[in-house]
Parts: sequence; C-alpha cells; structure tokens
Amino acid sequence: MRGLKLPLSQTQRVRLQRAFEKLQSLSAKANSDASLTVADTIPVNYEDAFLKGHGTADLNGELVATVCGVVERVNNLVYVRALRARYKPEVGDVVVGRVVEVAQKRWRLEINFSQDAVLMLSSMNMPDGIQRRRTALDELNMRSIFEENDIVCAEVRNFQHDGSLQLQARSQKYGKLEKGQLLIIDPYLVKKSKQHFHHLEQFGVDLILGRNGYIWIGEHVEARDSMVIDQAKNIEQSTVVEGINQAYTPLEMRQNICRIANAIRVLTSLGFNVDLNLIMETVELSSSLKIDIHDMLGSEFHVLVAEMEAERRSLTTKRKR
Amino acid sequence: MEYVSPEGLRLDGRRPMEMRQLRAEIGTVAKANGSAVFEMGNTKVIAAVYGPREVQNRSQQINDQALVRCEYSMANFSTGDRMRKPKGDRRSTEISLVIRQTMEACILTHLMPRSQIDIFVQVLQADGGTRSACINAATLALADAGIPMRDIVTSCSAGYLNSTPLLDLNYIEDSAGGPDVTVGILPKLDKVTLLQMDAKLPVDIFENVMGLAIEGCKAIANYIREVLLENTKQLEYRRGL
Amino acid sequence: MDARLANTWRLTLNEKNFIKTALLSETRIDGRKPFEFRNISINFGREDGSAELQLGQTRVMGIVTAKFVQPYRDRPNEGTLAIYPEFSPMADPSFEAGRSGESAVELGRIIDRGLRESRAVDTESLCIVAGKLVWAIRIDILILDNGGNLVDAANIAALAALMTFRRPECSLGGEDGQEVIIHPPEMRDPLPLIVHHLPIAITFGFFIDENVVVIDPIHNEEAVMAGRMIATVNANGDICAIQKAGEGLSQRVIMQCLQLAITKAADITKQIKAAVEAYNSERALQKIKRETTCVGNNVKGDQNQTLDNRGISELVGKYMERLKLISVESYASQNINAEETKSLRRGTDSNCIKFNSTPLSWDPYSNGIDLEFLKASVASQGLSTASEEKEASGKEKGSEAESAGPYENVNSKWSAVDASTTEMHVIGPKTLKDAVKPKNKRKKKASSMI
Repeated sequence: MRGLKLPLSQTQRVRLQRAFEKLQSLSAKANSDASLTVADTIPVNYEDAFLKGHGTADLNGELVATVCGVVERVNNLVYVRALRARYKPEVGDVVVGRVVEVAQKRWRLEINFSQDAVLMLSSMNMPDGIQRRRTALDELNMRSIFEENDIVCAEVRNFQHDGSLQLQARSQKYGKLEKGQLLIIDPYLVKKSKQHFHHLEQFGVDLILGRNGYIWIGEHVEARDSMVIDQAKNIEQSTVVEGINQAYTPLEMRQNICRIANAIRVLTSLGFNVDLNLIMETVELSSSLKIDIHDMLGSEFHVLVAEMEAERRSLTTKRKR
Repeated sequence: MEYVSPEGLRLDGRRPMEMRQLRAEIGTVAKANGSAVFEMGNTKVIAAVYGPREVQNRSQQINDQALVRCEYSMANFSTGDRMRKPKGDRRSTEISLVIRQTMEACILTHLMPRSQIDIFVQVLQADGGTRSACINAATLALADAGIPMRDIVTSCSAGYLNSTPLLDLNYIEDSAGGPDVTVGILPKLDKVTLLQMDAKLPVDIFENVMGLAIEGCKAIANYIREVLLENTKQLEYRRGL
Repeated sequence: MDARLANTWRLTLNEKNFIKTALLSETRIDGRKPFEFRNISINFGREDGSAELQLGQTRVMGIVTAKFVQPYRDRPNEGTLAIYPEFSPMADPSFEAGRSGESAVELGRIIDRGLRESRAVDTESLCIVAGKLVWAIRIDILILDNGGNLVDAANIAALAALMTFRRPECSLGGEDGQEVIIHPPEMRDPLPLIVHHLPIAITFGFFIDENVVVIDPIHNEEAVMAGRMIATVNANGDICAIQKAGEGLSQRVIMQCLQLAITKAADITKQIKAAVEAYNSERALQKIKRETTCVGNNVKGDQNQTLDNRGISELVGKYMERLKLISVESYASQNINAEETKSLRRGTDSNCIKFNSTPLSWDPYSNGIDLEFLKASVASQGLSTASEEKEASGKEKGSEAESAGPYENVNSKWSAVDASTTEMHVIGPKTLKDAVKPKNKRKKKASSMI
C-alpha cells in the first residue's frame, strides 16, 4: 500500500495538494531539518560525550548515518530513526504473526522481521487449560493447536542468542485468530501505546494493532478466563464456544470489519499514523457521509481523509499553543 | 561513422561531457520492502528489494552476515528486437554477479545475521548504460527499504570515440565497438567499487576516461541524495506525531 | 554454493587469520612476494591448437577448434570467436557437475572480452564467403585443478592454444567460382590464426586494508580476500579489459595496479612466445621427417576434415565429395584404374579396403566392415597388389614401411575406430614379401580374420 496511485480530477488534486501543504507546515521544523540520507554527516558536538545508537556509523572519526531517516537525540544517545525500516522488536510488544512451520516443540512464525520468530510449545496454553508438563503426545498434537498459515497473536518474550525472537502466548487474549482480516502495513505507522487490543463495542469487532505492522480485524471473541478451576464448567464453556464458532458470521459484522479495514488502508496509503482515534474518526466520517465501503478506496474519500487529518492536526497544534 | 561532429555535438545533440537526463522515483512496487525506478535518458530500470527476511535455503545461511542475492533480467520488449531469453543467459548471469558484489560491498551485512536480502532488477527500456542504471536503482531501493549501508553506490559509463572521451553512452555509441568503461563509486568515501572495461585503450587515455566516469557518478550521487532526502521529509511530515 | 568462491568453506578461522596477518607484513603463505607470479609451464598436445597450462597447482587446458558457420547478420564479413569454459568437478569439490556456476560464466565473459572485443584475433581474415560462410573458432577451456587464479591460467592457456592452432586453407573455386575448396594439410600448409596482440589477464587480490595487494592469489588467499580486480593488458601498454566488483579502492591504487600489470604482462608474453616458438620449431622438424610419407598426413588431414564437417549443412558435404575426387586425381598416377575411381565414387566400403592408395576416403566412424567383405577384398587385393605398388608414384618402397608407423600413431589417437578397420590397417600396407608369396599370406590372413 505505497503511494497514491489514484486517478484524481483537477479539483481533487488541488485539494489534496493543499491538505499536504498544510500538514507540511504543521510538522515540526526541527524534524524536517533533521532528515538525512545515507552517509550524511550527523551534526554532533564532538566534544560532548555521546553514545552512537542505531543507524549510525563511525567513518574516519566522524559520525555518519547508515539509513535514511530522522536524527533523534535522547540525552546522550544519538541515533537515526529510519522510517521504512524493519520492525524493531522490544520485549513485551504485542505482535501478530503467521505460522510458517511446525517444528520440534515449537512453531515458527513470520512477523515481518529479518528472521522468523519462535513460539515454544511450552509458552502456549494447552486447550484444556491445565498447567502441566508437555508430553510427547502433546508434541504430536501440535497441529491441532496451530497449523501452517494460521494467524496467531503473541507477545515478545525475549531475544534468542542468534537474534531472532521468542514469543509467548500464555494469556487468554493471545492465541489463534479466526474470523477476520489481516492487514499488513509498514511497522513505523503503528506507534507504541498502552493498549493494543481494542474491542469496538458498537461494531462488535476486535482490533489488534500488532507492533510489527500486522493488523487484525475480526469478530469479537470473548476472552476466556484461564484460571477457572472447575473443569466441568470449562468443558461446557468450550463446547458452547465451539458451537458459536461454527455459526455463520452475520453480514453486518462482515461489513463492519471491511469498513474498518478500508479505513486503515486509506490511512496507510496517505502515510498517516494508524492509531485507534484516527481509525474511528475515519470510519465515522465514512458512515456519516454514507459512503459505500468500496468507495472508501476511491479518490474522493482519500482527499476527504487528508483534509480531515489536516484539520485535526491544526487543531491539536493550536491547542498545544 | 561520425560520433562526434566537428562542432562537438554527439548523435543525440549532447556535448561530450554531458550526461543524459535523470529521473528517479521511489516506492513503485507496493509489495516490496523497497523499490525504485531509475531513468537515464531512454534507459529505464525498475528495482525491488525484499528483506532482510528469513533465508529460504537453510544451507546457504551465513551465521554472521546477511546473504545478498541479486537477479538481473531484461524484459523481452526492452530492446528493439524481441529478446528470446530474458534471463539465464551468460550476460545476465554476469551482470547479476557484478551487481551483487557491488551492493554487497556497501551493505552492512553483519548487522543482519542469518537473513537474506533479495535485489531484483528488471530493465524495461534498454538504450545503453543498463548496468549503471541498475546499480543506481538498486541503491535507491535499498535506501527505501531502510537497509543500513556504508554509503550509496552510484554508477556511470564513459567511452572513447573519435578521439574524444564521451560520458554516458547510449546504445548506438556503445555498439560502435569502441571502449566502454563502467564505473561505480562510493561517493562519500571516494572509492571505486565497480570497474569494468572492454575493447582496447592505452593506459593514459584510460585514466582520463575513468576520471570522466567518476565525475558523472558524483553528479548522479547528488541527484540521488536529493531524491532520498525529499522522500524522507515527505514521509516524516505525513506521518505526523 | 556457486554464490561463494570455490574454497571458502574449507578454510578454518585460524587459517584465515594467519593469512591476513602474514600479509600485513608482506609475506604470503607459499613464500612468494606480493607481486610475484607463480611458475608457468606450457605444454602442447599432439593436435594443433591444444595447450595445457600449469600455474603452480592450477592446471587448465585450452583447446581450439574451428568449423564453418553462417555469420551474424550485423557482421557479415567477420568470423566468430566463442569461449566455452567448463569447470570440471574434479578440479574442486564445490564445482557442480553439468550446470556451470556463476564463476564459470564470469571467467568465460572476462576472457571473451579480452580476446574478442580487443580484436586480439583478426576475425576478418576468417571470412570465406561474405554473408554466407565464415570460420567459427571455438575455444574450450577445461579446468583440471583449481589451485587459485583460474582466470589468468585459462587466459594463457587460451592464448597458447590460439597461437598454435592451424586451420586448413580454403579457397574459392569450382565451376562458378562460388564453391569452397578446403585444401588438405599436405597440399597446402594449414594457416595459423592472425593474432595481433596477446592480451594477458592479471588478477589482483585485495584484502581488508586496501594497501595490501597481491598478484596471482592461490586458492587459500582467494577465500580470504575482500575483493579482486582482473586487468587484461598487453605488452604494448594497452588495457584490453578490466573486471572489478566488490571492495572499494581509490583511483590511485587502481592506476598503480594497472602499471604493474603491464610490466607483468610483458614477462608473460615473452614466456608464451618462447613456448610457442619451441613448439613450432619442433613441429617443423617433424614435418620434414614426415614429408616423404604424405599418405600418413593425408589420413590426418582427412580426419580433421571429416570431423570438422560433421553436422554441417549439405553444402559442405557436397564439397567434401568434390574434395575426395580431387585428391584422388592428384595422388593417383596417370594410369589410374578406371575401376578404382569407380569404386571410390560408389561408396565408403570399398574405399576402406583400398586403403593404400585412397586414404582420404577413410572414415573412422564408419559402421565397420563385414568379415565376408574383408575376405573377399583380401582375395582381390592379393591380385592387385602388384598394380598398387606401381601406382604409388614418386614413393620409395622403403617408405611404405614407414607409412605403417604413422598409421599406427593415428590409430592410437582415434579410439573410436573399429577393431576390424584397425586390423585392416595392419594388413593394408604391403611389402615385397607379400608380392612374393601371395598364397600363403592369404591363408594366414583368412585364418587371422576368423
């Protein structure tokens, strides 16, 4: 979803241009100055003690950038934040991944990183909820939990010795994701926030913004409490849930999912940040103007969203001042 | 055949030291991690970069570095006569090898161990200097993908016809049978990383021609840097805070 | 595997470090100085145009062959030159059998650029009929042992082979002046190729610190080096081709290397020329010895002829027929038997039998001869032995014995020859004794046939 490849009429083009110019004027001037390309020298006061962070390298005693991005200075740390770079994982991040391999006692997930992430069998809750040692039988039945090409939500546990990630999916809110849509966007558009799981009540839709740029929009699934001791109750519940799962997802639910997905698509093609507020505003804009779901990907809506965003940002900056 | 007229104009009206018009565009292939289109006159090349990602062939995995793969192919319709074999022939294999070695020297591969970076370059229109255009496009695509590099690589070709060193040969001048020198440099470090030459040249004239090509490379480097900076700024202000 | 250099996987970290640190103090692990080439020894094969080169532990063979083709449309009056490298798996365990890897393609292209695009070999003299028929020179390069620096070795092997290659002379003639006549080697000397200059490839290896440069890296050094540059220069100070990709170098270092390459190239050119001179003089001597036994040479010429023309258009096949007739006419004496010529024109079977007087029609890849046919022929030969002897005009009788020698030499080379034909050769050359005792010989031959 890169770049705007839409047929724009003359007015639309002008409006879009104006919106972008407004955004440009609003953006911090400091940021614009700090942008640089590969091998540009980073302006640093060499007398101060500073730490070289990501995206920098030492060349003949001067500091140069190794990626195109924006220079950030935090205390003594100088680093270059690359925009369209690979996902930079941190421990505790919520990620959404796709299973590519079922290996010995582990699953390998693809998460938009330089290497595949590993989800150990021991980091995964057993279907019956009992905490126990994983036996050989469990290993043979791994396929019944996750298979290849399943979508899984998990949390980053730690880094392995070779640089790849180890994930864990212990809590009930993690696990296999069904009945929904997966969107892949650039990781830099998803910012770190406190909440990554969003339950949109008015639509009955779950929205998971994975930090690695994988976004899940799906039908709402009740998170089951894993600490229920009563086994009988558990079994009852699980059968009930299964029954619901096999039921047909209503059309309205599907339309809601699509509307939200399209909203995210529009935001990414315009290059805007993807966070909950923005998504909700976009969705409300589309439903208030009674725009059809597929029209949301048309040029008119794009221009409208750009203008809306420009408005919003100017308001926030005014408020700040 | 006269390649340089007495007034000093070449077949397409350029001066001997004049380069063709450059045009670069970033982000043309949506699916790829980084992509670019680079045009030098009538030569048009598209490059796409995938990576770093998991190595597909476990046996080729390198434990302390990233594996760089490159594939060069010419579209069937890129030349005047329809090409029968767009890739897999010897010329394409050699150019793939050369581009890979050049890019590998500038990518900081040790920052991405056990991963794979794929560079795919496709020539859409061939009018001389395809090798150079491919390297320039690959540089743009790699920078777009956010892959850390030591320095950008730019490349340009030069030749020697009618006793004049000429910069940036087009197809007619290239197939005249005269020498063709392709140079790729790291502009900031001022180092030559790619140097290919064919046909015969005495050593002192070669030095001149190589110097001319390096000047051309530096001009391209300025242009590429501008394009990348513009792109970064645009992404940044759109993203907002 | 072909993405990496051949020997990378075999070296341990310890060895790699040792090589690098030794180079910092200008020492190489085989004791050479940084700019010293290994010993070159060139051996030539029996055939014209085959050379084997040994550069230290590296062994490369270069073989040159030629055939007729149609020229390219955009170059109608030039011959073609093509290089076919083959990286045999016996040279290095990482070479794959069959499919040639990237390094093989690169080697072929570098040598191709050095030889063809620098106009080292004159291609215009290879034209026979403009737009229709030209010589296509094919250089096969076979790597026998990979001891490092394959490009240089292959280049020298190719040059040595090219300089000793001889192609048969051909001229236009015939009724309408359009037919091509290929003259066998004994009639007119086969011509060498016109080589204007000798482009020599010199490989430079660069290590991490760009000041560390070595010439002619061995395979251990190749696994450690960060980049390399292959400069093809000739002794006149012209640069014919350069190939360099990888580690960055400053312009100054490149120019220095080029100057160094020119001096080295002068040395190597001298060596090649000396070796070729030695070979040529030896060949000339051999030729004088063999001049009296033109028959032997004929066989050789004919073999070249038949092999070269294999799989070519009928155009050339027709000319071969003409050729047979011409040679028959020139070699047979004035009193040629009408039967003989008729038998010639009929087919190859009888030709095989009339080996003595019509060697040109001998086909090494024929299906063989029936035993019965042989018996019959032996019977007839006994009768015509006396006439055959008279036919051998201008030849001494003693020479016939000698002629048996070259036949055998020739036979040992062509292993594809049927056993029956070999035996035929032994029986073929007749001595006076045969004339004296025909009956006994016939019986013996008949029994030996069985």
